[in-house]
Order: sequence, then structure tokens, then C-alpha cells
Amino acid sequence: MDHQTTETFDQNAREALTDEQLRAALRNLVTTFGERRKVAITTVDDWEGLRERARAIKDETLTHLDKYLEEFADNAERAGARVHWARDAREACAIVLKLLRERACEHIVKSKSMATEEIHLNAALEAEGLAPVETDLGEWIIQLAHETPSHIVVPAIHKSKKQIAELFAEKVGIEPTDDVAVLTSTARRVLRQCFAEADAGISGVNFGVAETGTFLILENEGNARLTTSMPKIHIAVMGIEKIIPRLVDLDVFLKLLPRSGTGQRLTSYQSLITGVKKSVDDEGPEEVHIVLMDNGRSRMLSHPVTRQSLACIRCGACLNACPVYQQIGGHAYGSVYPGPIGAVITPQLAGIKKAAQLPYASSLCGACREVCPVKIDIPELLLHLRAEIAEGTTVGTADQKGPVKRKLSEQMAFRLYAFLWSHPSLYNLGTRVARLMQRTVMRNGHIGRVSGFVSKLAPPLGAWTASRDMRAVAPRSFREKWRDGLSGRR
Amino acid sequence: MLSAIREHLAASMPFDAVHDEHHAEHKANPRISSAVADEQSASPTERFRNALEAVAGHCLMVNDERAAADLVLEILGKINARRIAVSDSLLVKRVMSHVKLDAEILVDASKSELFDCDAGITSAQWGAAETGTLVLEADAERHRLASLVPPVHIALIEADKIRQTLGEVLESLSEQGRDRLSRTVTFITGPSRTSDIELTLAIGVHGPGELFVIIIEGRDK
Repeated sequence: MDHQTTETFDQNAREALTDEQLRAALRNLVTTFGERRKVAITTVDDWEGLRERARAIKDETLTHLDKYLEEFADNAERAGARVHWARDAREACAIVLKLLRERACEHIVKSKSMATEEIHLNAALEAEGLAPVETDLGEWIIQLAHETPSHIVVPAIHKSKKQIAELFAEKVGIEPTDDVAVLTSTARRVLRQCFAEADAGISGVNFGVAETGTFLILENEGNARLTTSMPKIHIAVMGIEKIIPRLVDLDVFLKLLPRSGTGQRLTSYQSLITGVKKSVDDEGPEEVHIVLMDNGRSRMLSHPVTRQSLACIRCGACLNACPVYQQIGGHAYGSVYPGPIGAVITPQLAGIKKAAQLPYASSLCGACREVCPVKIDIPELLLHLRAEIAEGTTVGTADQKGPVKRKLSEQMAFRLYAFLWSHPSLYNLGTRVARLMQRTVMRNGHIGRVSGFVSKLAPPLGAWTASRDMRAVAPRSFREKWRDGLSGRR
Repeated sequence: MLSAIREHLAASMPFDAVHDEHHAEHKANPRISSAVADEQSASPTERFRNALEAVAGHCLMVNDERAAADLVLEILGKINARRIAVSDSLLVKRVMSHVKLDAEILVDASKSELFDCDAGITSAQWGAAETGTLVLEADAERHRLASLVPPVHIALIEADKIRQTLGEVLESLSEQGRDRLSRTVTFITGPSRTSDIELTLAIGVHGPGELFVIIIEGRDK
């Protein structure tokens, strides 16, 4: 299994572009989820109003996050849950490990959770000899294949059913098949055994309701319900940004999240869990633990632009809409969170030095902003992070700080550019020189391979003309025409 | 951790002042979405049925509990059910008292018995017509496993429990107050499904592959 990191984004992306099977899978994703979403958002009255309402709720929560987190934790504990606070990934993993160890849990089932992916919980548990089993079909597939998710919502989107059938044949001994129903029922059969034996269940959380201490899990398969109902202990790992103030606020988010994510009006199941069961005769685990995890999130609160990253509800719509993700898929980003939202939260979570290429993995077209159900201005965030990279005022912990190295030639070029463009006489001289120079390489007002006749300009401008033509400088500028009267007669 | 959060929020305040000016339109008072007006002309039960059938659930309407019992018997017969898990709700009890079937009926099935059941029968405390959603409260009935583990789930609901929207149900739950809220509330919309393999829909991955909702319109006492 190749190991792609965010540092090698450029190389990863190039490799992804040559992977025909991946690109076919991505085309399928884009058309299927794109179309479904388009239809689904017409089934509510006022989509725009809903998005604004959702964002207002998130803004209100995030600007008073300390208050709402305390309220959530108090109410969850009143209802019998134990709340643990984890400042970073290491602490979160240690808390989960300790809980499992103290209770001598051996058989652990997990439902899909990006938060536990973020902290690499499985690796941490496996290092201690435990073997948590992923039970979401997509997550189980990539766990069997020793891979990582390539999409927030459909983690195994990069794999074909043929590959999955071969994987199942090798790992669980079925006859190779191309029948998805057979593959699915294989997962049901094998994983039922795991659920029957499990003594601990680990899940993520979609929303935490401050006023009641309730947390919610959305899903389609039923594995999260099994994970949170069958074992004796349930551990929910939850980022601190998942809080919403009131139970009724869920109405807004339950309309937005499934429609944006999978184009459904509602996912098959929502579990609303408030603390632990009231009497021993009730169904459900004897212990419910909530691990509230910061892991770089509170830092994002310190500026309104970065703070909006915490409004994200992990629907994946920005991935499906992004022309960059559509071409290269999730693995190329080399981070747990791919796509536009990954490009903005990865540098903030992992430190900008580790992911300095990601904020540039965008054409700033704004498609992500348009589909985001909570109206996160991702292009604004990308530019904010780029500015931090350029100025060296990077976000991150002390050891992650410090300017990211830029090429000296690039710095000089931009300084020269700024100098010329801020002095009108130099600017005018520049355009005149350019007009003279371009004569040799221009055709029909363009420079480049398609309409011009040179295949490529010399570097660094060649990087531009390698894949598209550049417009030549006009024979007469607007200012010159204006000076002479626009008709040119005077 | 809370102090770190407070510190960062405080650090943001000077930026917020500037940011708010630039993004005044962003903060414009959001409109609170009104209830969906379309489809409302349909009765809640009709609307519920349409929404549920759109997600591959079966919806049946009957006039009374005796007719519901006949339907339950018919479904159980069709799937040749030998072992059935039922919840402890009063409605289920009443309906099942009319079901004369040569099968094992378990009110308090153990985990291993549940895996061996052919069907699970519960009621539901609320319905949301807009999405065809059942809402089950743990305080009202032991529903968590009976509605989940067997391959077929049969749910009984009285027509007057069906609200137009999930928002209305959330309001009712909210009005119960945090101390009376059930420790687990489950929303169920159609059978278990997945699209994790090439986005091809497959029904019944971990939960029931078939969901029958029987709406009881009248009440016989």
C-alpha cells in the first residue's frame, strides 16, 4: 500500500490523474450524488433560508462554545453518561484505551466516525493488541484492504465491486461475484458474529444537544444502532464543534445534512442518545462515555474566518462539487479530510507546515461555497490560509509555526510585479515592451499551443501555456483609446 | 480545555468587530423556515404512505386493531416466521392477542435469540408524514433490538400519532423536558440500506431488509 502524505500532494495528484478506474468511480460519484442532491433540495420550501438558519445557529454556538459545551456536559452527566475531555489526539486515544483496558474489553465494534479516523484510533488500539472491527460496509472494506477512507461519506468510493469481491474472496472466503447484494449480505453475515460477541462499541457523533445532553448519530445501515445498543459499554468520540443549543434546532440540520450528503430526504436511522439507561431491565449499554475532543479546534475560534471551519457538519457535498476532488479523489490529499473542507481544516488541525500545499489545491471557483449547507466561505478560508503561509503568520502549535519556505525566485517575481503595477509610468513602459516582445510568439491575439504557434513559453510562464493559451497584450490599451476619444478620431 | 476555548474566543473579538462590518449581510436576520406548504393538502396518513413507499417501505392502512392483527398474521405467514420478537408496548400486546399463530413469540428475547428471530414487531410513539418516519421512545417500549435485529420489522402506529413534519415531533419531544426525555429515541425511515459499493443501492445491510408499517385509523376499545 503506497503511503501518500499531504507533503507530496503534487505528485499524488499527478498519479491519481492516470488512474482510470479511480476517475470512473469519481465520475459516478459526481453524477449520482450531484443529481440526487439537486433533486433533494427542491423538496424543502426555502433551502436558502434553511442554510442561513443553520449558519446562524452554528455561529451562535461557536461564539459561546464554552457555555454550550459546559451545558452539554452537565446535562449528559445528569443523565448518567461520563464525559471525558481530550485536548488532543493522544489524550483521546489514551482515554478510550484506558476505558477498554479497565473493563477488559476484547471484542470491539466501531461505527463510522471521521473523528476517530482523525485521531487514528484504530492504529492506537491495534498497537496495544486490540482489534476494533469497523462495521459500516465502506469502512469495513477499507479496513480489510488496509486502506484509508477517500471520501467523508462513502469511504470506499475508490474501489470497484470487482476489487471488493476479490478482497472478500481473499479475506472471508466467498466465491468471487459481481452481485452487490451478495457482497452486502456477506458483510451482514460476518459482522453479525462480531456484534454478538462485542463487549464494547465505539461511535462518532453528528450532533450534541446542549439543553438535554443528547447526542445523535445518523446512518443508513443500522450498524451504528447495533454498535450503540448491543455491547455493555458505548464510547462516543465527539469533536467539540458538534454542539447545537436546542433539540428543535435538529429540525434544520436533519433537513440539510442528508440532502447535502447523499441526496436523501432523511437517512434511514437517527439515534438520539441521552445518557445511560434508567433501569437494569432497559435495553442498551450499562455505561455510556463521551470523549469531547479539541485536537486543534479551539485554535480556530480565534478568528472569524477560521472559526467558520467549525460550522462544518461533514456532509461531503463540497467534495462532490469540487473540480479538483472530482479529478484526483480523496487519497491524493494525503489527509483524513479531503476535498475543499479538507484543504482548509487539515492545515489548521495538523499544522500548516505539514499541509502547505493543500490551500493551493483549488481554483477558487466557489462551487464548494455554493453547495455548503452551512454556508462556509471556503474560498475565503483558502485565501486566508494562503496569506498566512505567505506572511509566515501561520496557525498551529509552537512547533508547527514559522514561515513556510517559498522559492526566492517566486518572491522576487511577485515583488517586481507589485513594484511595476504600482508605478503607472513603469506599467506603461512594461506594456509597450510586452507588445514588442510578443510579436514573435503571438497569433490571433493569443500566445500558446492552441491558437498561437509556439508550443510553450519559457519557464516560469511556460507553466501557464502548457495547458492553455494566454491572451496577448492588446495593440492599444483602453487608456490610450480613451485619451484619443473612444472612436479614435479625436 | 474550556479555558483554551475562552482564550481563543477572546482573541477573536477585535477581528470580529472588523469582520462583522464587512459581512453585515451575512448576519442579516435569517428567516425561520415556514412549514412546508405543498403536499399538506394530503392527509398526514396519505402523505406518510407516499413518503415511506418512496424509500422502499411498505405502508398498510387498516380501520381497527383486529384488522391490523389479520395483516400481521398474513405477513408472518408469508415469511414463514417461526420465531418473533415483540416489544412490550400495549398496542403490540393488544394486536398480538388477536394473532393466532403457531410460532414462538418472545417479549424479552435475549441477544442470541434475537439473532435467530424472523421478525420483530413494535409500535411507534410518533410518525412524521413528510418523510415517512417512525419515532420510537425507549421509555414507552423496549424497541431498540426488536426493530433492528430481525430481517423483517413490523411497526404498528395509530393514525392520530402521525404529525405532518419531523419538526413537530421534535417540538413535542422538546416539550417533555430534559428529565422526561427517553434515554434513547430512534427515528426510522424505511429499511436498512447502503450504497457503499459503487453507489449501488442494497437493502438490508445491518438492519431489517423489510419494513411494514401498519397504520390503524380507528380505535377500538
